[in-house]
Amino acid sequence: MDTSDLESTHKFFDMWMKNYEANVCRISEIPAIGPTREKSEKMMKGFPVFLNLYSTWMDTMADFQGISIQAMKRMNEKALKMKSGEVQDTPKELYNIWIESYSETFKEFLRSGHFASDMGKFMSSFLDAQKYNREMLEEHYLKPSNLPTKTDIDELNKELYSLRKQVRELAGRMNEFSMEK
Amino acid sequence: MSELSLIKNDYARYLKGFEMFLKASDISVGTTPHEIVYSEDKMKLLHYVPTALKTHPIPVLIVYALVNRYYILDLQPDKSVIKKLLDEGFDIYIIDWGYPSGVDRYVTIDDYVNGYLDNAVNKVRELSGKEKITLFGVCQGGTFSVMYAALHPEKLKNLVTLVSPVNFDTEKGLLHTWAKSLDVDRIVDYYGIVPGDFLNSGFLLTDPFRLMIDKYVGMFERIDCAPGDTECIIRNEEIVKNFLRMEKWIFDSPDQAGETFRQFMKDFYQKNLLIKNKLVLNGKKIDLKKITMPLLNVMAEFDHLVPNDASIPLNDAVSSTDKETLIFPTGHIGIFVGSKSQKEVCPKIAEWLKPRSELEVTGEPEIPESKPKRGKRK
Repeated sequence: MDTSDLESTHKFFDMWMKNYEANVCRISEIPAIGPTREKSEKMMKGFPVFLNLYSTWMDTMADFQGISIQAMKRMNEKALKMKSGEVQDTPKELYNIWIESYSETFKEFLRSGHFASDMGKFMSSFLDAQKYNREMLEEHYLKPSNLPTKTDIDELNKELYSLRKQVRELAGRMNEFSMEK
Repeated sequence: MSELSLIKNDYARYLKGFEMFLKASDISVGTTPHEIVYSEDKMKLLHYVPTALKTHPIPVLIVYALVNRYYILDLQPDKSVIKKLLDEGFDIYIIDWGYPSGVDRYVTIDDYVNGYLDNAVNKVRELSGKEKITLFGVCQGGTFSVMYAALHPEKLKNLVTLVSPVNFDTEKGLLHTWAKSLDVDRIVDYYGIVPGDFLNSGFLLTDPFRLMIDKYVGMFERIDCAPGDTECIIRNEEIVKNFLRMEKWIFDSPDQAGETFRQFMKDFYQKNLLIKNKLVLNGKKIDLKKITMPLLNVMAEFDHLVPNDASIPLNDAVSSTDKETLIFPTGHIGIFVGSKSQKEVCPKIAEWLKPRSELEVTGEPEIPESKPKRGKRK
């Protein structure tokens, strides 16, 4: 266990990523032509979006795997005390050791700026991918079926919001006016 | 006892626990009698039926956060901040912000503070016939109340803030650390209405193993009774119901109006504008020095969501001369429903509020010199 670390996996992934970006990803950058040009261009934009999601997901997973290994080591150290008789040898005690070790180790990690930064990047790439999926769904299914899209609904919500606000302001002014009279 | 029999015991205990959960399906929250006296869009203003023979003249309007629901203050009769304050003779109103939906996506903090909250304050003033009222803000509701107090000081007799953040530049709370790395625009632009579950995941992540595993294991362990011990069984039924009420509250998370979430995260958590007197609402700068009314700032010593560093600076930022800080040795939720809530927190708040809730006949009300008892004073 002591020799296990994710550095080599990380290095391999980085190498693969660079190669992928330099080769396969370039295909998505070739300008599209013909009647489906616009649609194809939009679809091709998905390549870098999903690649970025995959990359940040791998970083996050590596973080969590690393921290799980650290927690497991901490748990093993404590569990050895059970073997030596320092701590009672019961399933409940084992559970206590497990929850304590994992909780402490994860909390330390979650407090770190490293976690905040990686989680922020992952969240951003996840939302980009979700947004891309939604746009594709709207483009290929909702619009051709003449169904309202999220963008259409948002426009209505904005209109409704400003109308409600106007009505409130006008009602307030009318109130003031009638009180003055 | 062999390991096998220990495991068998645990298994039997869990089965027993599940049985009790089945029996406790009927849980009710927010049961203190009240009526809805005003509503606007999703917001409702609730007025509680007084329980004391004589109430203090100045009414109290409680403003809870947009995240989670107001009924944590009235979770069950024996753990109700509302009931305790009613019994102490206060005339209590509370705002229920409701559950925002798509149409509320563009609602801003200005709409909440200068719209809904101002209308609620005016309604309470109208119903009570009092020019000034006490505003009692809780958590994010306290932040809103502070902004309101700075913009409309003429309508407030007292300001009470309970576990309310005003200074967001602290590394002590995990949410404060994480918020700085969030791309808020991406979140709001994608979701529009930010899902309550998204925020809840953040809260759970502050202590994942304790909040998602150990809490439930602990619950099943607590309800272990010897066969035939009816007293224990009855007590356990109550424990299970209380537990389920808390579970309901924790996961009953309203979605957030997108523009409000955007401004709260960016201007408060990321830029910390409020305490710097740089926050602007609808073109008006919020100057905390304009807060002149008596202020009680209450916080929980072990608050992991709103650390004391986030609340303490308020007292120095305002112009009030009559101001006090109380810190209780409890947590963010414990301050509402923990054992100290009923015995210490509510009585101390009531003690501070009572002399300040009388009508001013000749000048200022007589305020007795406060002597520290249990809550730490600063």
